[in-house]
Amino acid sequence: MPQATSALQLPLNRAPALVMHIDLNSCFATVEQQARPLLRGRPIAITNRLTKNACVVAASYEAKVKGVKVGMTFGAAKVLAPDIIMIETDPPKYHHVYQILVNIMRSYSPNIVMKSIDEGIIDFSGTREAVNKRPLTVIGYEIKHRLKEEVGPWMKCNIGIAPNRFLAKTAASLHKPDGLDIIDHSNLRKILSKLKLTDLTGVAERNQARLNACGIYTPLQFLNAPADLLKRHVFQSVCGEDWYKRLRGYEVDDFESSVKTVGRQFVLDDMQPSEETLRSRLAYLCETTAIKLRYKDLCARGIYIYLLYASGDAWYERRMFKSTFFSNAEVYRRATLLFNRRPRGDWVRMMAVSCYGLEPSNMAQVSLLDEVNREVWLTETVDQINSQFGEFTVTYASSLKAKSVVSQKIPFGSTRYFELLLNRA
Amino acid sequence: MENVVAINKDVNIVAYYFKRGTKRLRCFPKKMEWDGKNVIFTEQGLRHPTKKGQRMIHVFDMTDGSADYRLEFDAQALTWTLVYIADQAFSPMDPQYAASNLSAAATA
Repeated sequence: MPQATSALQLPLNRAPALVMHIDLNSCFATVEQQARPLLRGRPIAITNRLTKNACVVAASYEAKVKGVKVGMTFGAAKVLAPDIIMIETDPPKYHHVYQILVNIMRSYSPNIVMKSIDEGIIDFSGTREAVNKRPLTVIGYEIKHRLKEEVGPWMKCNIGIAPNRFLAKTAASLHKPDGLDIIDHSNLRKILSKLKLTDLTGVAERNQARLNACGIYTPLQFLNAPADLLKRHVFQSVCGEDWYKRLRGYEVDDFESSVKTVGRQFVLDDMQPSEETLRSRLAYLCETTAIKLRYKDLCARGIYIYLLYASGDAWYERRMFKSTFFSNAEVYRRATLLFNRRPRGDWVRMMAVSCYGLEPSNMAQVSLLDEVNREVWLTETVDQINSQFGEFTVTYASSLKAKSVVSQKIPFGSTRYFELLLNRA
Repeated sequence: MENVVAINKDVNIVAYYFKRGTKRLRCFPKKMEWDGKNVIFTEQGLRHPTKKGQRMIHVFDMTDGSADYRLEFDAQALTWTLVYIADQAFSPMDPQYAASNLSAAATA
């Protein structure tokens, strides 16, 4: 007879708040305003391209006051704030600030995690006895001061302190900009009672609907919901149990995810692209995907192509190969095999290339086959030349046209390829 | 769109000033000769390093109070390049946003 498992029941975590979340809100916009004093106090929007339909990746606080939000097109932002100024992203500038932030954080604890370009976590566990004896609020204000000293007086950051990463991030978003808040067992209920469900990181439209469907309308109700309800009915997975722990201040987010795919995508610059244009863009995407693979010391066995058409229809195809690949030519050759099978008759709007089935690189292993060795040596030599004299000093003629159009831009979230991005900037 | 004029020409920096950083003294351009004009910088925005191949380039964002200037110093060739001038269409900088006033507000 199967034994019934008892439902998880945990009190609020009474452990001291030792996790600090630091968030440079409106990071790119603030850095631009720091770099160019004439932009201070003005609404500005940072976009990856200087076109009307470009997406706003960061907006200054002056722009946010007027209703400009990250993700909207610049055209829509211009309607809300007619005096808004559009600035193109400048990765080396943000990387400089990122490095300063990392150095500041590392001076307090070796246990730091950068969650993205503009936010990171310091875990003070184990450092309180000998190094960081002062209260964490004092350290928080010192970090704010050091950021202003080392980058410039316009820099601001939000700091949240809590027993786990989720609550620390929630605390960091309570008083923007330039806030510092603590959430622990003593004020958790009070703070959650003032928030909406969508104020919680990880709860957007769909999760809100899931919670609403089970009669949960506020974060406080979410906190009071039993683990069993969250696991079996709301999320119908182990995620429910994670949420139960997360809201109570227990750490469930301290895992590292490995790289599963490496790829690139591009929204075509031409509304009616010719065959030649498509192949040029594909060649460029394959070349940069292969560079990323080698940068991470990986090789792939699978390739995936995704196309989005003007009608809104999408097409994709994937294939796993017996042998691994890593060179620009091999990625392009294998991608072309799939690309040639695409449906025709409509204009392609967006294309993406991804490599999967990743394995550690075998470039160092000399092969019995001379042709394989020649490919490795050629790739290594081209990479060395490009590293010495700048990216795309030696490149494929087929992708030459695309290079003047497609530029590598700041990605959301990950900082995995930041160094690589800078070499190309 | 903002008003940005690309220049990309070598310029002479004829005066420098030094500022105490957190670890060592930092050097910034003070006076620039360009196109027969003298530009005196009143404030630095950000100095950040970048690379062109293996060459180290130091980028300086400076302002003279009425326009922003982007200067690049090639640490290998020891040359200064004026990359662009921006924001000439705007009114002069509001004094409340000057670094000296921001620092004063922060310490108050």
